[in-house]
Amino acid sequence: MQENYLAKWLSGELSEQELAEFKKSAEYASYQKLKEVSSNLKAPEFDVDQALTQLTEERIGNAPKVIALNPFKKFLRVAAAIAVLIAGSYFYVSTLDESVATQFAERSEVVLPDNSEIVLNAGSSVSYSEKKWDKERNVALKGEAFFKVAKGKKFTVSTEQGTVTVLGTQFNVENREGFFEVTCFEGLVSVTFDGIETKLPAGSSFMAINGQVMDTSAPTTSQPTWMNNESSFERIPLSYVLNELERQYNIEVNTENVDKNLLFTGTFSNTDLKMALKSISTPSRMNYKIEGDNVLFYAEKTP
Amino acid sequence: MNNVCEEQVFSSIFKANSKTVFNYIYYKFGNEEKAHDAVQEAFVKLWENCAKVMPEKAKSYLYTVANNLYLNVIKAEKVRLKYAKPTLEISNESPEFLLEEKEYQQKLDNALNDLPENQRTTFLLNRIDGKKYAEIAEMEGVSVKAIEKRMHLALKTLREKIDGI
Repeated sequence: MQENYLAKWLSGELSEQELAEFKKSAEYASYQKLKEVSSNLKAPEFDVDQALTQLTEERIGNAPKVIALNPFKKFLRVAAAIAVLIAGSYFYVSTLDESVATQFAERSEVVLPDNSEIVLNAGSSVSYSEKKWDKERNVALKGEAFFKVAKGKKFTVSTEQGTVTVLGTQFNVENREGFFEVTCFEGLVSVTFDGIETKLPAGSSFMAINGQVMDTSAPTTSQPTWMNNESSFERIPLSYVLNELERQYNIEVNTENVDKNLLFTGTFSNTDLKMALKSISTPSRMNYKIEGDNVLFYAEKTP
Repeated sequence: MNNVCEEQVFSSIFKANSKTVFNYIYYKFGNEEKAHDAVQEAFVKLWENCAKVMPEKAKSYLYTVANNLYLNVIKAEKVRLKYAKPTLEISNESPEFLLEEKEYQQKLDNALNDLPENQRTTFLLNRIDGKKYAEIAEMEGVSVKAIEKRMHLALKTLREKIDGI
């Protein structure tokens, strides 16, 4: 007998010889009976149409609705993303500091939230947080600016070189490369430079050149001279004077055979370039040439 | 090209296969309710994936889904199959004969319940649904020879149980 002959017999795949042999066996009658009775077995009733109706109405019937919702979901997703972006950027922008900057040959006035005023000289910038203004009056300064501070809480001007804190006053801060000067015109300011705090009463100034604190004379005016379109210097190295000239007129200044460490005392106009050049060159015994936006100072030939 | 997503194609697949899917799960676990659920689940899955399933693969897809559905669930349950008794046509058979028949069917039911799940499923798919061994092999995902083995063992065990060996 071959393997699984009972299965083969049931499916009618036995050879005649095998079938004959199987029929002779004692169990054959039992298997024959099993075959007959089992062919009359029935599974539980299953109503195909009812099941299909149930399927299409209850389960699949919902499917188109789900699909119809999808574009809306997509829209929601996009809308949510946009909302997050808008909210995020609003939050980001609102926490950004306000900042005002001037280009060369430009001046600007800034009115702070408490009506304090800042006048920005050429090539300078200030930034402050409008949101936090009520908590702390803090202004970051690059370059030079004149401050009229309304009375109130501590007002701080932070620069890379030093910090100026005041309560309510008028003062000028100049913070240029290697040059730091604070002049107080009214009230009292406190200058912190290199960790040392200096009290500056009205009518005095503090100056540091290349980290060295210098003696200065008292200002004679009630506000910085640049407010009146003049730049005044008292024993200031020529290089800083020329830098200021560049800023006021947005020109490029070059020198030839000139000692830029010479100290310069004087004033130049911020509105009349020729006058300004004369004001600088004459006391320093220099000549100058103008070529477009370039100015060349050169040493006067010694006779 | 025929697509399962088309309602016509889908309902013809349903009409051709739902009864067998129902029976298949019923034979396995002897639970009518779960067999009904299996039919619904399997065809919902087919509908959801109608774009991915080719019409000729739909059949084996259905059995795979139905099978996986209860893979871990019913193994522990005790199987209690109840087969609708063949309603004997009004006959002139003697009461003794009818009683004997009834007893035999009782024995068969009990023996079927005691069969291993895969032997019972194979046996009943063949006897009730008239499925060829090759078809059962496709449904179960095994070779025809394995199905023949199950059938052989099912017959052998049933006879031994019924004859009280």
